[in-house]
Amino acid sequence: MIEFQSVYKTYNSGSHALNDVNLHIDDGEFAFIVGASGAGKSTFLKLIMREETPTSGEVIVNNYRLSRLKRKQVPYFRRTMGIVFQDFRLIDTMTVYENVAFSMRVVGKSRREIRRRVPYVLQLVDLHGKSGRYPKELSGGEQQRVGLARALVNNPSLIIADEPTGNVDPQMSHDIVELLTQINKNGTTVLMVTHEHELVHQFDHRVITLKDGQIVSDTGRHTPVAAQVGGESV
Amino acid sequence: MMRAHDIRYLVSEGFRNTWHNRFMALASIGVLICCLLLTSFAYLVFVNIDSLFQNAYEQNVVAVYLDTELDETAVTAVGERLKTTTNVAKVEFISKQDYLDRFKEEMGEAAIEGLMEENPLQDTYIVSLKDLEKFDATLATIEAMDGVEDISYDGDIAETLTRVRSMVLGIGGAIIVVLLAVSLFIISNTIKLTVYSRRLEIYIMKSVGATDSFVRFPFIVEGVILGFVAGAVGYGLLWLLYSQLVRSFAGGILWSLVPFAEVWGRLLIGFMVGGIFVGVCGSAISMRRYLKQEGSLRI
Repeated sequence: MIEFQSVYKTYNSGSHALNDVNLHIDDGEFAFIVGASGAGKSTFLKLIMREETPTSGEVIVNNYRLSRLKRKQVPYFRRTMGIVFQDFRLIDTMTVYENVAFSMRVVGKSRREIRRRVPYVLQLVDLHGKSGRYPKELSGGEQQRVGLARALVNNPSLIIADEPTGNVDPQMSHDIVELLTQINKNGTTVLMVTHEHELVHQFDHRVITLKDGQIVSDTGRHTPVAAQVGGESV
Repeated sequence: MMRAHDIRYLVSEGFRNTWHNRFMALASIGVLICCLLLTSFAYLVFVNIDSLFQNAYEQNVVAVYLDTELDETAVTAVGERLKTTTNVAKVEFISKQDYLDRFKEEMGEAAIEGLMEENPLQDTYIVSLKDLEKFDATLATIEAMDGVEDISYDGDIAETLTRVRSMVLGIGGAIIVVLLAVSLFIISNTIKLTVYSRRLEIYIMKSVGATDSFVRFPFIVEGVILGFVAGAVGYGLLWLLYSQLVRSFAGGILWSLVPFAEVWGRLLIGFMVGGIFVGVCGSAISMRRYLKQEGSLRI
């Protein structure tokens, strides 16, 4: 669950990144955040990840009231979400398997759990045969699926994807969003930032449009059951 | 909370990272070895100068001449008093008869014939002092004693030695402190280069919910490895170099160097503790910035 209550964010440089944003995203929803660059998408994500704190207002994510979160609690809060990055953020010196296992080691899972869980998740993203490869040997789409596996492996209740298709070819982009849709159907909340309107139109999910730091349109909650390819436009 | 399997993993990560960044690791180790060698040479120079002074001190004694009028009991009493005086290390008695015997031996019986009846020489105590810094105070005490007629000493040498020694101690200490600070600076900058290339790794760790100590641990392990290797190799090098130096000084007439066997323990501890301390601090200092910083979505 994500909730923004009259959130303002002004950077020290004086730029007003967000102006009075109010928003509620329920558990189990799939929402696209769209908008041109500079519309406030990055700030929006940073606030959700608690990389930044609002100048005023309150952000609540997965029952954590972020303004009251202490520095020491931030790692535990982050474990409730999985993050997928535009530039994949894989560790070059680790194999596909290690990159995914890494995420479990960080949260203190045992070796037995890791051995059981990682192959399963790699199968889920259709990379089972490439677990011994290094990121540089994979295509962009494959690398992003490793990133997705890493985000999924700890079974978070929320997946945040920041332009996950930005460095991936169009066909693969569709597959990745399809994969996220599948994950969403199993009950995980998915929040995906993108500027590719074409891609958004291919799916029937909630679309929240940001412009100049404000929400200018919101299609509202879509029930996953009603989801069908080629749905509503923004 | 860190569990056993976490720690095992983090230690192996430390080794893996060191190996992966082995060229930078070698550079850090090289720098650290140089600094440790310079520091230890400064220390050895100090030890040798100090031992030179120690020898000089041991030869520095005061002759206490007694009143010729004193009888035997009075002479013994002065000797007892000297022995109980603070800062006196050793008291040796040379009677006027002893002096006479020496003369006799050196110059022959004829030379001292006239002296046999009335011995004009004085009973003497040869007093060695413990601490030359209190030289003047001790001398004043002895001079004021009943029955002491005169004393002879080489006070200037004592004073000069004391002054030079404390100067060497000060300069040596300052050099060591400066060298340690310099090595810490260089090491942390060398490690900073490897940390910079790994900031992405740090951000990823943080984004998946790693605690600060989890992120820090492998870097600390890396610091320990660097420090340990540098300490061990540096110590071996110093051993070889210094032993060679001792050997080449051995034939000299002036003075011989303090043998390695006398300082090996202190140096070994110094190298290992110094190396590991600098390695760990350098590692911790250079990664702190990235630990504090939030990895923005796009670097």
